[in-house]
Amino acid sequence: MAITRRELITGVAKVGVPAAVVTTVGASALQTETIPVPSAAVGLLYDATKCIGCKACVAACAEANDTPPDTRGDSLHQAPSDLNEVTRNIIKLYKPEHGSGFSFVKRQCMHCLDPACAAGCPFQALHKDPESGIVGWTPEKCIGCRYCTITCPYHIPRFQWAGFNPRVTKCELRSHRLEKGLKPGCTSVCPTGAVIFGPRPVLLIEAKRRIQESPGKYYQDRVYGENDNGGTQSLYLSAVPFEKLGLPELGMESVPARTLRWQRRFYQYFALPALLYAGLVQVIRKNLKGHEQEAHEHEKQTGLRAQL
Amino acid sequence: MSGTTTNFPTQTASERWERAVPVYGFPLVNGFFLGLLALVVIAMVLTGYRELAGLGPVSGMNDAYGWGIWKTFNVMVLTALGSGAFAVGIAAWVFRRKRLHALMRMALLTSFLAYACGLLLLGIDAGRPWNFYWMVFPWKWNMHSPLAEVAICMSIYAMLPLAIENIPPVLERLWYFDSRLRPGVEKIEKRLYSIFPYVIAAAYLLPGMHQSSLGALMLLAGERVHPLWQTPWLSILYLGAACFMSFGCVAGTTMLCCLIWKRGMDMEVLDDAAQITSYLIFGWMGLRLLDILFRGALLTAFHLDRFAGVFWLEMLLVGFGGWLLWQSLKTHQKRQMFLGYVLSSAGGMIYRFSPTTLAFRPNPEALYFPATIEILVSLGFISLGVLGFLIAVKRFAILPAPLHEWHSMANYFRFRRPYIRWTGYFKYGHFGEDEVEEANS
Repeated sequence: MAITRRELITGVAKVGVPAAVVTTVGASALQTETIPVPSAAVGLLYDATKCIGCKACVAACAEANDTPPDTRGDSLHQAPSDLNEVTRNIIKLYKPEHGSGFSFVKRQCMHCLDPACAAGCPFQALHKDPESGIVGWTPEKCIGCRYCTITCPYHIPRFQWAGFNPRVTKCELRSHRLEKGLKPGCTSVCPTGAVIFGPRPVLLIEAKRRIQESPGKYYQDRVYGENDNGGTQSLYLSAVPFEKLGLPELGMESVPARTLRWQRRFYQYFALPALLYAGLVQVIRKNLKGHEQEAHEHEKQTGLRAQL
Repeated sequence: MSGTTTNFPTQTASERWERAVPVYGFPLVNGFFLGLLALVVIAMVLTGYRELAGLGPVSGMNDAYGWGIWKTFNVMVLTALGSGAFAVGIAAWVFRRKRLHALMRMALLTSFLAYACGLLLLGIDAGRPWNFYWMVFPWKWNMHSPLAEVAICMSIYAMLPLAIENIPPVLERLWYFDSRLRPGVEKIEKRLYSIFPYVIAAAYLLPGMHQSSLGALMLLAGERVHPLWQTPWLSILYLGAACFMSFGCVAGTTMLCCLIWKRGMDMEVLDDAAQITSYLIFGWMGLRLLDILFRGALLTAFHLDRFAGVFWLEMLLVGFGGWLLWQSLKTHQKRQMFLGYVLSSAGGMIYRFSPTTLAFRPNPEALYFPATIEILVSLGFISLGVLGFLIAVKRFAILPAPLHEWHSMANYFRFRRPYIRWTGYFKYGHFGEDEVEEANS
């Protein structure tokens, strides 16, 4: 027996509705929401208690990236006031107004395991390398929307405000140096070993060893970046609270996983939108027919051409 | 004009909106038109300067506030006002509020202009617009990015379903323009209406998606958005605000046009719209307040800071506007209804503007105030939309009117402007009598 259109539609709906709802609601079961650590994840370990604030890494970073020195401060010294379009790496000083407990902090990209910048980037210009885990920027894909400057919880990517061909500047661990077997600029010059480069698991072990050696020295005896924001590849040790150094307490779950959960599920395989569309077409097809009929009846009554 | 404050206990038959009629008898070019044109020209020149100099020199944007009013006002706020094709359309087509079809052409036009101007400015706001070509390759999209969703969805929506929905008035004008065009026009119309269900359905799905994704944009900003605004329900609230604001925009603009160009107002349709709008407003406010209550953010509304001020201003405007609309259903006062639309839409605008700008706190020192050039460009692109609106309502049948308007328009052109060939709307058969004559001859 031939299937009528109505039967076909209701049949599709009977299968489609539960299927779409399952893919949307049960997405967590289908797709694990745990964040995988890249196979060859590299990173930085910065120990704020070892840093003497010499800023050699700032100069070395500029040199490695071939960016001009930022001398806008006094037009003599390379002294950028903050991360900016030529500064990917900066040393800042945290000094409370009353007395002791000061600390330097090195700020650069955290290379999050689940980066919010890449989660928001519309055409994947900011992209996490699946092997090294380095979050890199591709100029050919960037539309310059500056969404990354809004989404990054550490406020790292910076947009070049002047010029017709603006770029987004952020630490990319100098991936072209890594390919040659060199270390990133900042770690190659650090005189005290406050910042070291290596595979993330090795750095984690080293950080925990330091904590074990001198318990109570570090804030909460904790490595910032082990689990924070879903885990980062730049790890921090510090004697002062991390929040004072500009590293907010974001919780164990990454920002995109926490905030975009329902957004992601709704668009999972485009199932729910497709279903909604099919339903709308059916309703409107029916209503349009009625509306057309009424319009033509009205046309006959008034003698004026129907306006649909 | 029959006074704006008089009561209308019963609907007079002659006021019933039967037909969309072009605005005739008013010159297209007047002082206001030229003023808008000047603003548009200024904006175009400044846009050229922006493309050469970059965003920094022309705007107040900075590292902390990466987004300025071009995105946060012209796109976030004005496309909410321009969601009429979505909200009014769904009420008319899906929920079968049949009388609202009278407002549909206004809704479609305002939506198209708001979206088109917003998208143009979005292209200017983007730092590297030449890379927009990635939009052509779906496999390069970041499907889970709210911004990709907004950019792609909005462009597709404005360029395809919304543009196609706006074609009938153009075809209609061609039909009246010259009887030789009629067979061709009718053929196109037939084809157009056969794909209409698919077009209209897309025109409801896409804005539903991107208007909510506009809210989801700020979810990723996390705690930097003030707790009175930052909520997992941000997408739904953004969509809801777009719904009642666009009703306000469509109905309010129509009322304003009727007032300016001296047309009768069909209180049956307007009451219908006001009723839906007030329901939408109360539902939206309820959701917003409940969300704040259950997240435990209510106390922050009683701090003495600018956030609380903005919040209460928004709530007051939306709430009072909704109450006025509700009252106007009983009193039938047009002035009250119009004020209700204006106030509730203004409140909605503040809401849509807040998470990205007024309630966005990237760091304690950060400040953003739009630069003069930025404001001028923003104004210029709004003027472009208003300009397009003025041209469209004076040349095409957009604005609804009582039936007698159509006949007086035809008479006007026959007897007072017989020499205007290009307004030949009415040259052939405004009563449709030509076909009969042609058939007989």
